[in-house]
This record gives sequence, C-alpha cells and structure tokens, in this order.
Amino acid sequence: MKISIKYLLFYLTLLSPFFLLTSCEDVVTLDTETGPEQLVVDGWITNQPGAQTIRLSRSAAYFNNAAALPALQASVELTDDAGNSYVFQDVQNNGIYQWTPESDSVALGKIGRTYTLRIRYEGEEYVSANEIKRVPTIDSLIYTEERFPIDPPEGPREGYIAEFFARDFTGIGDTYWIKSLKGGKLYANEPTSISIAYDASFSPGSPSDGLMFILPLRQSITINQLFSAGDTVGVELHSITNEAYYFLQQVRQESSNGGIFAVPPANIPTNIRNVNPNGKKALGYFGASAVNRAETIIDPARARPKE
Amino acid sequence: MKRIFAASAQLALLLMLFSWDCASLSEQIPNTFVAFTLLLFPFRPHNRWFVILFWKTIRILVCFVKKIESGKIQFMKIILRLLILGVVGLMSSAEVYAQAKFTVSGYAKDRSNGEGLIGVSVYVREANTGVVTNPYGFYSITLPEGSYTLVFSYIGYEKSTNSVSLNSDQKLDIELAEEGRQLQEVVVSTRKEDENVRSIEMSVNKVDIKTIRKIPALLGEVDVIRSIQLLPGVTTVGEGASGFNVRGGDVSQNLVLLDEAPVYNSSHLFGFFSVFNPDAVKDVKLIKGGIPAQYGGRISSILDVRMKEGNTKKREINGGIGSIFSRLTYEQPFAEGDGSFIVAARRSYIDVLAKPFLNKDLRNSRFSFYDLTAKVNYRLNDKNTFFASGYFGRDVFGADFGFGWGNGTATARWNHIFSNKLFLNLTAYYSNYDYSLESSRNDDDAQDKFEWNSKIISSSVKPDFTYYLTPNNQLSFGGQYIYYDTRPGSAVAISSGERRDISLESRYGDESALYIANEQKVSERISLQYGLRYSFYRNLGPGTVFDYQEVQKGERQVPQFPGTDYEDGETIASYGNWEPRFAMNLGLNSRTSLKASYNRTTQYLHLLSNTAASSPLDVWTLSTARIKPEIADQVALGWFQNFRDNTYEASVEVYYKSLQNQIDYVRNSDLLLNQFVEGDLLFGKGRAFGAEFYVKKNKGRLTGWLSYTLARTERLVEGVNNDGWFPARFDKPHNFTAVGIYNLTERFTLSSNFTFASGTPATFPTNRFEWNGWALPHNVYNARNNNRIPAYHRLDLAATLKARKKLFKTGESEWVFSVYNAYNRRNPYSVYVQQNENNPLLTEAIRFSVIGSFIPAITYNFKF
Repeated sequence: MKISIKYLLFYLTLLSPFFLLTSCEDVVTLDTETGPEQLVVDGWITNQPGAQTIRLSRSAAYFNNAAALPALQASVELTDDAGNSYVFQDVQNNGIYQWTPESDSVALGKIGRTYTLRIRYEGEEYVSANEIKRVPTIDSLIYTEERFPIDPPEGPREGYIAEFFARDFTGIGDTYWIKSLKGGKLYANEPTSISIAYDASFSPGSPSDGLMFILPLRQSITINQLFSAGDTVGVELHSITNEAYYFLQQVRQESSNGGIFAVPPANIPTNIRNVNPNGKKALGYFGASAVNRAETIIDPARARPKE
Repeated sequence: MKRIFAASAQLALLLMLFSWDCASLSEQIPNTFVAFTLLLFPFRPHNRWFVILFWKTIRILVCFVKKIESGKIQFMKIILRLLILGVVGLMSSAEVYAQAKFTVSGYAKDRSNGEGLIGVSVYVREANTGVVTNPYGFYSITLPEGSYTLVFSYIGYEKSTNSVSLNSDQKLDIELAEEGRQLQEVVVSTRKEDENVRSIEMSVNKVDIKTIRKIPALLGEVDVIRSIQLLPGVTTVGEGASGFNVRGGDVSQNLVLLDEAPVYNSSHLFGFFSVFNPDAVKDVKLIKGGIPAQYGGRISSILDVRMKEGNTKKREINGGIGSIFSRLTYEQPFAEGDGSFIVAARRSYIDVLAKPFLNKDLRNSRFSFYDLTAKVNYRLNDKNTFFASGYFGRDVFGADFGFGWGNGTATARWNHIFSNKLFLNLTAYYSNYDYSLESSRNDDDAQDKFEWNSKIISSSVKPDFTYYLTPNNQLSFGGQYIYYDTRPGSAVAISSGERRDISLESRYGDESALYIANEQKVSERISLQYGLRYSFYRNLGPGTVFDYQEVQKGERQVPQFPGTDYEDGETIASYGNWEPRFAMNLGLNSRTSLKASYNRTTQYLHLLSNTAASSPLDVWTLSTARIKPEIADQVALGWFQNFRDNTYEASVEVYYKSLQNQIDYVRNSDLLLNQFVEGDLLFGKGRAFGAEFYVKKNKGRLTGWLSYTLARTERLVEGVNNDGWFPARFDKPHNFTAVGIYNLTERFTLSSNFTFASGTPATFPTNRFEWNGWALPHNVYNARNNNRIPAYHRLDLAATLKARKKLFKTGESEWVFSVYNAYNRRNPYSVYVQQNENNPLLTEAIRFSVIGSFIPAITYNFKF
C-alpha cells in the first residue's frame, strides 16, 4: 500500500515524542562463524535481443565486504528443448560468462521453451532448468500528482506517482517480476524493493486470477520517493516461474527482516543442483523470462490531478 | 473414525460413572437453563443435542453430589470414598459422621466498598482447620456441634475474630477493614496467615492491584501484563511485544480471562499497553503450574483477571490523566447496597490534542485506542447473586485507509447457594476478537479498493460447583461448553472496477469439558488436590478440507485436489483428552512446606504467528484433522518458606514441561488470507525446564520482591535446524527482577524496579553470496537460533505524592512521576543482518532497540 506511506510518515511524527524517536537502529559488529565457500550462479536470460550473461563467483564470509571472487575455468552451456545449444564463455577471465549473438537483433529466449543450464566447475557438474513463461502487454502508463503533508525523508515533497496498467492472463498461477525504470535504466534496484506478483495480486492464497494488477502493484514502480516533471519513467514486466517467485520473495524477506514483527531468518532457496546428490552444493539462481516494457516522460500538463 | 469412536467411548464411560441411579432431577437444574443456553447463544440446530447432553451431564453431577450430601445411599458413599476421594480418603477420620454436623457459611467483604474479597483465610481455631474464600468471597465450613472461633485474615487487612456457637446451620458475613498506614512494621501474633506455605497452590502468583499501581510503569500507564512480566517464570520477547511467555510457552498458550471470558488479544498499540483498565481491576492471579481441573483450554498458564464489582457503600469516582490515557471510573450502589455497578472508560487522547494542528490532508485521520469496562451486580437474597460484565476495546488507525482491531466480551454470572455447602457459579460468556483493514475508506465507489477482516467469536456456558463436603474435603466439579465461529479472512479486492471476493471459508468447532476435583487435608501436614478433566473437541462442517502432500521435509506442502466437502454440522475431526491434575502440600513445619504438582493441559485453538512479536493480524485457528491439539505435561516441585512472622515469603520451584504438537512454519510462510495455510505449517515438540527463586516482603515500609529464573525452552521440528533441538524465540536462560516500594511518609511513596535478562536467540548467516548486484545471506549449517543477542537490563523509578489538599472535601488526589529506562540504555530488541542502505553489495549487522532512551512521565490520579 504505497499510498499509505504519507500517513505512515504522519504517524511516525505523531508518535515520535513517545517511541519512535526513542526507537533506534545502529550498526554493530558481530562475531559470526564462517562456513566453507560455495559456487554461486547469478544468471538470468530473457527473450530480449542481445548478449546474455551468467556470472559465476564464490561465496565468502558474511561480513567480508570485498568483491566476490570469480569462479574461473568453468564450462557453461545452455540448451533448450528445441535442440539448440548455446555456449557461454568467460572472455575477460573475470567470471562473467557470455553468449553473444551474430547480430544485435537476435534473441536467445523464446516464450514456451525450457532452458537447461549445465556448469562444470572444479570437477563437479551442476544443472538448472527454467521455462520462459508468457507475459502480458502493458496497456498504459500514467502518473498522478501527489503532495505529502510533511517533508518525506527521500525525494521531493510534491511530485508524481507513476502507475502502469496491465492485466493478468486467465489461468491460475502466472507469476511476474515488476521492475521500475528511470531514465531508461533499472531504478531503485534494491532487494528490499523487489515487486513480484502472483496472478494480479501479492500471493497465491488469494485468488486474483485474470484481474488488472491491483493498485499497490501498479504503483509499485514508484519506489520510496515521488518522480519529478521531466523524468523518464517506465516499467519492465517479466514473466517468471513460480519457483522464481518464491526465490525472489525469500530474497526480499531476508533483506528486510528487522523490526518487532521479524520472522525467523531462513536460507534463500536455489535452483542449481549438483548432479551428484552428495557433491558440493551451489548457491544462487538461474532465471529466465519474457519481458514487456513501457516508458513515458512526465509532462505536468498530462498528469492526473490529485484525488 | 477409530479416534472418534474411542473418544465417544471415553465420554460414555465418564457419563456412566456419574449417572448411577439418578432419576429425574430437573429441580436441580431447571429446564429453563437448557432453554436459556440454547437461546442465548447462536448455536445451530445440530448442536442442540450436544447442549442438552451437556446439561444432562451437569444434572447428573449435581444429583450425584446431592445424594452424597443427604447420605441417602450408603453405596454412594463408598463410591465416593473409592472413586472421588481416592484410597487416601479412607484414611481420614470416620467419627465425623457419627456426630451432628452444622455448617457456617457466608461472604467476606471489604468494609470500605463492599467488594467481595478473594482468598481470605478462614481459620477455625478450635478445630485447627480452615478454608479460603472463593473468587466471589464465599466460604463454607462444616463442623460438629460446638463453639468455635473463626479468624478471618487477609494480607493488608485487619484480622477479624468471630465466635460462633454451632447448633444449627449458620450464616456469617464479615467485613474486613484495611490496615491503617503501614508505617510501622505490623506485629502479627498468630501464624495462620502464612497462606503461601499452607495453601496447596504452587506456581501461582497473585499480584495485588494496589501493588501493580505502585510499580513504575512505561509512560506512567499502570499495566497488568507488564507487571506480571516481573514475576518468576514470566518473560517477554521484548519491549512492545504483545502478551507474555510463561515457562516455555508461547503467547497464545496463556488463557487470559477477564471475568471468565477469554481475551484473544491483550494489547493496545501492538504490545505497548494491555487492555485491562487498572481502575476496574480487582484481582490478578497467574497460574503457571498445578493448574486446577476447573481450568482448561490453554496449555501454559491461566491469567485470571477479575473486575471490580462496584462500590456497594457509596458513590465513587476515580480518574486520571496520564501521558497516553485519560481515565474515568464511576461506581454506585443501588437497591440499598444490594446491588452496585461500575463503569470505567479509558481513551488515548493524543489525536484530540493534535487535531487543531493538522492540515486539510490529515484532518480526517484517526489514531486512537480506547476501552470501556462495565459491571453490575445484584444480590437478590442470601442465596442468589447476579453479575453482568462487559468489555469493549478498540485500536483505530486510519485516514483514507483504515486499520482497527479490538476485543469485546460479555459475561453473565449467577451465584447460587443450593445449601450452605453447595455453591454454584454459572457463567455464560461471549467473546469476540476482530480486525479490519480497508483502503479508500471514504470512497465507497472507489475503482480500486481492498477490504479485509478477520474474526473469532466464542460463546460458552460454564457451571462450576463447589461442595464444601467436610472441613477436610472440598469438592469442585462442573463443566464447560464452548462454541467457536471463526472467520479467518473475509476479503474483497476491487481492481479497476472489477470486484473479487477472496474470502476464506468460515471454520466452526465446539469444545466441551467435564471435571471433578477434590481438595483434601489428609492430615495436619499433608494436603492433596486431585482432579480429572475430560475435554472433547469437534471440528464441524460445513467446509472443504484438503489433504497435503510433502514434497520435501520442512518445505511447503502441496494441497491435493479435489478436497473433501463436509455438510453443515458434520464432524470433520474430533479429539478427546483426559487431563489429570494433581497437587500436594507436605508441611515440614509451621513455616516450611514442600509442594509438588503435575498437570496435563490441552489446547484446541492455535494462534498462527511467525513473527518475533505476535501481531494484531495473527489468526486464531481451530484444530483440524491436520492441526492436532497441543498437549502439555508439567511437573513442578517447590519449597516454600516464610520468615520473620510472615514478613518474608520465599519459594524455590523447579519445573519440567513437555509439549506436543507445537506449530512452526515453513520459510516464507503465508499465514494470512491463504486458503492452503495448513500446507505452510510444520509440527514438532517442545520442552522447557527451569528453576525459579522468589523472595517477597509483604509488610513494613519497604515491600517488594526479588526473583531469579534459570530456564531453558527448546523446540524440535523436522526440517528445521537439521532436525535438531533449537532454543525457542523467547528462550531466556537468566532472568532477574527486583521490585521495591518504599513508603517514605504517609504522602510520599518511592518505587523502583530492575530487570536483567539474557538476550533472546537469533539466527545469523555464515556466508554471503552475490546475486544480481546484491549481497545475500546464507547459513551453511542451516541452523536456527544459533546465536544470542546482548543481554537486556533496565531500571525504572517512580515517586507517588499524595496531595495534601482534599479534593472536593473528601477526595484524594496524587501525582505520579516516573522514569522508564532510567540509565538510558539502548536495549536491543533484535540484532539482524542486512545490506547497506546505499550499497546492496555491503553487509552489516543492525541492532534494533524499541526504546532507546529514558522516558519520563507524569500522571495525575484522583478519587472522590
């Protein structure tokens, strides 16, 4: 409920003399145990034309804030269920394995196909499979004037809330990843801001099949702060598998699990499997999606007035 | 099916046991009771037979006891001896029966306001025996013909000594006067008020509301639940967390009763304040172990809160203004003191103060919490007294969105004295908890809208009989029938004008229980309390039930379609449980005793909550075929000793508790508005053990207590923590509290409390991995609660100054100055890890403190 941010801000102020000024968070140092390092797979292919990359690295001690070490000399191969094969190569020897098409207009991913990733690394063989699901078109992208009653911690006090309209397909169990764009690039790409949908709503338990995406999801491209006139705003809608939905949900959960209503931390699942069940386990996720996008420049003259 | 059969067979056996030779006994429990029960509660037709059966059973129970009383059937006496009193009972002296016996009975009340006093010790000097008044102030003793001296004593009140010449049944109502200002240490001449040592009760803490009022409180708001958190064996997961944890039980395993009606959420403003208005509370009792057979339904503890009845002597007005609440209480007698009523209201007022300063945008915002408590009682005659009480409280937040939650309870009670020896309290209650959320509150035609509410309603009839058989045997028996109507989530989502009802099915169930128990003085040194409770639960249709298939241990289970449909009233699942209760007091000398107890308790209602602190959105869920009843077995052993003429009372208790069918959750569980929520639940077991040390000073200028608890609480759930035992979220090995209240002068009181507790367990990752430009946590060992956050300690101070000037000639007023967290410590509520706000590739650990500084407050109270 993004719309209620302003009121939450207001309550913060109202309550602050009592609790919220006194409630506080500060960074502390922790002494924690470190486990053995593991292979990490960070890859996501799409149906968009152009190069596709899969990054292989190694896990490290939790508080080791140095850049992750690359996993080198691996063999990375992708096959689809139509008999095509794509080899990913680490040209720069930095753990970033890439497949480059003959021309920039060629796309790797096709909707409906299943892709299998096969990685050989340090004597172990890992596999992962994923399907590219259907994705709805974006009907429209609008923006509404907004003015907060008090100065928000981030962004302008007066500005615009962007909102996209798209309709979920009929049929239970379509899952989506909604990404926000600003100036043509991914915007506020933080794990705490991950916006995912199950059918047209938040979760599988409540049937929302075939509806227009519900309001909070439509406005979820306006993250933490208002947009200003002249901003190029946009949305990228990714189809994802149910498995990817639960993976992303857990990533978000583990990245914003503070406060008095925190839940017990749990490990983020992975879809990377060692073919030898007793072999070393890997971390990370290999995803695949079809993408639709829409962009617009905020023109105050065309903004919807505040309700 | 086998289980249902077994349960029915058990119930039938129990009925047979009592139905021996019982003819029609409608004169004992008139048919109007049955009709009343059926009318009062929205039971649906299929439950009628159950209600009728319930009352039939109660009738049989009464008949049974009546027969013993009249001594009509010798055979019954033998049965009584063998079955009810047990083999030990045979040892008690038989000559009592040879002599003519008479009963003295009556009520003990407070002289100043006519309130019945709970737990007054009534001691018969000549017979060296005694009883204790019940929750309504009633007592009854049957003795051989003769002259006796009855001594009534109660802490904080002057002793009353009465001579009784017993040659017929007698009534003796007495009024006790409060002791004067306790500036000098009161010298006590007899030792008979050492209830702590003498009573069979163990693991029980009674906190006087007058004491609660003097303990320094957060923001000066006197709070029942925060005060009991200072007792041994009671903890909380942290500041702002709702409820309390008792001896390794979670928040939902406490039966919180307000005038016998259960309160499903005891908090205002998440968990900062409790729902009980201190001005309307008369007595607070926490039972942590040795739970008597009359209580059931929750497995960890009973918090029995009794409301004031209202002053029967004169009109009284109490009130106060604190930093959060403003309070007003009105009490008045009627019918020449045969009746009285009390109405108490509390409301937070910050929204009212803020309103003039709000701009247009915020003018219609709501932010308040309030509660209203009312009670009326009327004494028709010596044999019949009626009580009706109610509570309604709500927290409301909102502007163009709305969020509210609250409890409502209504209790009707009838105290009836059948004979001088047989006391009945019949209670009927209705209790409701609900919450609702809605967007676009002010726009009914909104194109996009979300409305959601959840509700649990329970209604119950509960007859409790006490039969004062002989001075050495006090029999209690009765039962309870509860009907549950739960609506876990009713929700409507409107998206771009399209409306979708995403409600979950309502769930129904009923719980019935019968119990019988006896408290017996075997000898001067040994007393016993033994009882048996049988509870029977049914999960009722209509409804669709799904089976679930396990994919991987500890992971979400998949529903199997299609589900099974059940008709209206059809039994989906049922469970029957025998719950034995036992307690023993072995007096070593007049000041020392050893106590032991065992109890089994069962719980058919579960709060699904996976958050550190329970939230108002958590849903109470009934047992189903898949969610089995929670069962706890507890043994406790205690040593009780009083010193210095009962100025000090001390106890050491050790306990071991084993818990079955404890609920845990899969990772990323979805507990709200989820049709397949049962697939997200995991089941395991628990164990808790500990030692509690307690010293209390009851008299003198300085009163208070020291308490230290050494404890451990663990859970074992398949698929969590590599299938190994792990500490529960609220496990705190060390817990120390000190409470001191010092009466400096007649007008000036100082008080302070100090708390030290181990940090709660936490789960930290061992490794990080980079994905999509984010550093993500991973625990290679898949451990739960493998670390502990830093310890918690806090000092609070308060000073109460009574005004010298009388308010309206006769009234009193006082100022309370308090400081919470006096030495300004940032106590961690939790420590957790996350990415740096500005760079998600950097990891850091965050300490979160709910109250990170000291909080001063001033409260003004008045009374006239």
